[in-house]
Amino acid sequence: MRRWDSMEDFEAFLDGGGLVEPGDDMPDPYRQAVFRFIELHANSEYMGGLTERDWIAKAPGLTNKLTALAKTQDEVGHAHLLYMVAADMGVKTRDEMTADLLAGRTTFHNVFHYRAHSWGDQIAIAYLVDAAALASQQAVFKNCSYGPYKRILRRIIAEEGFHMRNGEELLLKMAKGTAQQHDMMQEGIDRWWWPSVQLFGPDTRPDDVLLRWHIKSERNEDLRDRFVQKMVPQLQAAGFTVPDPDLRQDPDTGRWVSGEIDWDALKAAIAGRGPDSERRLRDARNAWDGASWVREALDEAAAVPA
Amino acid sequence: MKTYEVFLKRAGKDPFAHVGALEAPDDDLALSFARDCYARRSEGEQMWVVAREDLLVADPTELQMADRAHRHNDGTFLRDLRQVGNAEPA
Repeated sequence: MRRWDSMEDFEAFLDGGGLVEPGDDMPDPYRQAVFRFIELHANSEYMGGLTERDWIAKAPGLTNKLTALAKTQDEVGHAHLLYMVAADMGVKTRDEMTADLLAGRTTFHNVFHYRAHSWGDQIAIAYLVDAAALASQQAVFKNCSYGPYKRILRRIIAEEGFHMRNGEELLLKMAKGTAQQHDMMQEGIDRWWWPSVQLFGPDTRPDDVLLRWHIKSERNEDLRDRFVQKMVPQLQAAGFTVPDPDLRQDPDTGRWVSGEIDWDALKAAIAGRGPDSERRLRDARNAWDGASWVREALDEAAAVPA
Repeated sequence: MKTYEVFLKRAGKDPFAHVGALEAPDDDLALSFARDCYARRSEGEQMWVVAREDLLVADPTELQMADRAHRHNDGTFLRDLRQVGNAEPA
């Protein structure tokens, strides 16, 4: 078993680009911090998968239904992979993680605490939320010091790329559509712009261990700024407006500067006090309970000798 | 539930590579879940699924062999020998 004599040795190993593996005797604070981060990611993929599932029946047309189905499989698949990686850290079992999520004892991303009202919302989610999530994941993948997480992120990022492209495709279709479609899309953007910006989180604190231990490779504010610079011109070019009355372009640098960001909304959402938190969790519990017969049947079948 | 490790062989001359793990109640379902989780988009042309308990795992500290210089002829001595050879008149 690989072990390090001190935190200084361990951090020197990480600074040198070392990858930590599950069998290593890693310092406990590192184990706990990385575990919590992966658990949050897994929970978010799972809750995202359930949201996506809601749209299989409601998506307009067979092609969009098939895409919703594939995306649901992807998101639930990501949750599977991440829960395996998290469970192997030896902090909690997978069953404990599921129980904690459904009881509201652990958290998931703010964007899954809001309701998707229309097909326009669903496209705004695919376009804005998936782009924000992808940018965050790429920044983790780039320099991630925990081996199993880095390897599984490669696959997750590739699949999120499909979702983001699908979101842009649908957004541009709506942009070229009827006035009603255009308005529906604009309403979706109005509802999802701020939650997407908030997804990156407040400015990274100087003592952030995730940055020091090479889980994150970039500061929240840099990722958020890059998102704004990329998305504002794209939305405007497609004929949509950004729901930020104080958004302005710096005359010297040409960079977009957001208005004040409401961090209380982010805190409330993550704490389970978002506009749709209660229904989402209830829905997740119902889905889990409703599928218990499948799990029981599988266990019973496995217990029967071949 | 049992834990399984999944290996995929991508294409052609690529070797099998570990891609991740999964939980399944038995071997048949492990294969089925592995296809669903890891090979939905033709990510591999062959797949191995192995129960984790059947894997023999080496201690990583016993794999650190960088100090066995006799197994790594990097050509330093040879270069010196050749120079000596060149310096001497034939």
